[in-house]
Amino acid sequence: MSTATAPTAARARPPAPRARYRRFGHERRRTAYLMLAPALVHLVWWIGIPTVATFVLAVTHYDILAGTMTWAGLDNFVAVLSNPTWWTAVWHTLVYTFFTVPVAMAIAVVIAALLNAKLRARAWYRTAIFMPHITATVAIALVWAWMYEPNVGVINGVLSWFGIRGPAWAADPTWAMTSVILMSIWKGIGLKMVIYLAALQNIPEELYEAAEIDGASAVRRFVSITLPLLGPATFFVFIISLIDSFQVFEQFYVLTPRGGPANATTVMTYEIYESAFQRFDMSTASAQSVVLFAFLLVLTIVGRRITGRDDAS
Amino acid sequence: MPRPGQVVLHAVLILLSLVMVAPFVWMVLTSLKTSEEVLAYPPTLLPSVWDWANYPEALEWAPFGTYFRNSLVIAVSHTVINVVIAAMAGYALARVEFRGRSLLMLLVLAAMMIPTFSKIVPQYLIAKTMPFFGGNDFLGRGGSGWLDSWWGLIVPGAVTPLAIFLFRQFYLSLPRELEEAARMDGLSEFGIFARVMTPLMKPAIATVALITFENSWNNFVWPLIVTRSNDLRVIQVGLAAFRETDRVLWEYLMAGTVLATLPMIVLFLFTQRYFVQGFATAGIK
Repeated sequence: MSTATAPTAARARPPAPRARYRRFGHERRRTAYLMLAPALVHLVWWIGIPTVATFVLAVTHYDILAGTMTWAGLDNFVAVLSNPTWWTAVWHTLVYTFFTVPVAMAIAVVIAALLNAKLRARAWYRTAIFMPHITATVAIALVWAWMYEPNVGVINGVLSWFGIRGPAWAADPTWAMTSVILMSIWKGIGLKMVIYLAALQNIPEELYEAAEIDGASAVRRFVSITLPLLGPATFFVFIISLIDSFQVFEQFYVLTPRGGPANATTVMTYEIYESAFQRFDMSTASAQSVVLFAFLLVLTIVGRRITGRDDAS
Repeated sequence: MPRPGQVVLHAVLILLSLVMVAPFVWMVLTSLKTSEEVLAYPPTLLPSVWDWANYPEALEWAPFGTYFRNSLVIAVSHTVINVVIAAMAGYALARVEFRGRSLLMLLVLAAMMIPTFSKIVPQYLIAKTMPFFGGNDFLGRGGSGWLDSWWGLIVPGAVTPLAIFLFRQFYLSLPRELEEAARMDGLSEFGIFARVMTPLMKPAIATVALITFENSWNNFVWPLIVTRSNDLRVIQVGLAAFRETDRVLWEYLMAGTVLATLPMIVLFLFTQRYFVQGFATAGIK
């Protein structure tokens, strides 16, 4: 049945390679277009058009009930940027990012370095650390909501062993953001660790051996060899973490519903969600989306500059 | 004789692993406690009575079974569609030269970078105004389109640029001699793709399938905004809804959460090689 094995006739008379190639080149290209078509149509329809449309909606007044659109110019942006709640959301997103991204990255790179050693049970450690990444954020956030429960939650239970009366965590305006940040660091370590681990495998063993002969300590080897050679991986982890962090939604939505106690944890994505799907003000939501997009673009460019890696995108 | 450094290293890693696994353990333990014990303070570690009846009771308290089924239908559909369509696209991008190929590749990479919230509003509007669906006229007016339907849940997320990218990377790694031999044997281009190259890609297919399944099973925002009726809710949305009820019955909610996390954890434990490979490939290029 296998067509992969040759019909003898075709093998008996090989045509001149060049002519054969050209003829096949034609067929190949036609097949390639056909094979690309479904994916392209889907990407254009569900990613291309929507991305452009966000920018269009942002400069119009769109009435979802009537389906009418009128030109608004920068009105929506003026409205968004003069809204104090939006700025609170921007601030919260920045605070969240500032505390989750570097901390989780630092922990991840150290763990990856530890796990890179030939170690017994290393697969077990990796599995345990990576597990939060593959489980649903919503489900995980529910578990944390339960652990954070002020009266009977396990975290305050453990704190009480040491005579500490824990706060109300997610329900307390001063601790709500901390609650989400702690959970997010916990969830974010695994993916960063895996990327770092993969990058570490590419560092030649000889470098470490040479350094060890020269009498460099383990810490010294980590700082002088591992960290510099992890530059491209660090850039990559940094960028995807930033993008993820600015788009964080589920843990805020579940742990601190409706923007949190006293709006303590409203973030940009939550404001977009509110505008679009609670108030059905699609134009404002689109303007907010454009601002979020601009933030991400600037951060990506700045990130490139800082790490000086144009090749590693 | 282990060196002291090794002992410290293992101690650190064991402690860390415990911190990472503890919430999962706590979730399972809570789901097996009686309602009195759940509300006891300070919390008990192990359930004094292992209350397995919580699971059937949780399924009556909330339609977790329906939610579970919906998630499963969507995740399986996404996986099948994505693997087929993205494999074809990835093959074409990796192994056939045609004009505009690098531009297309750039567009796929760009599509990977577009944030969810930078496209979600128009996506919702496109779904809502799908002509001839959900009572819409030919201009997409009047009805609800694909909102609150299987179409809206399945089609928009069915093909992902990440899968196309991953497939391209995997197809690039196959040797050129293989396709040339097949071509000499008179196989058509699609034949080369379907009968020669793709059968060699089983690990790649596993990787993409698992990542697609995971993303789909864990997805929340899109199902949240396109569904309204209880019958079409996915498990993540269903769970989140119960968080907002006045009195949360944590033992039932944790039973539901176990149902929502178990398939992924089991799948991961048995196939983690592919997951790790996928994330590493996407990560390092």
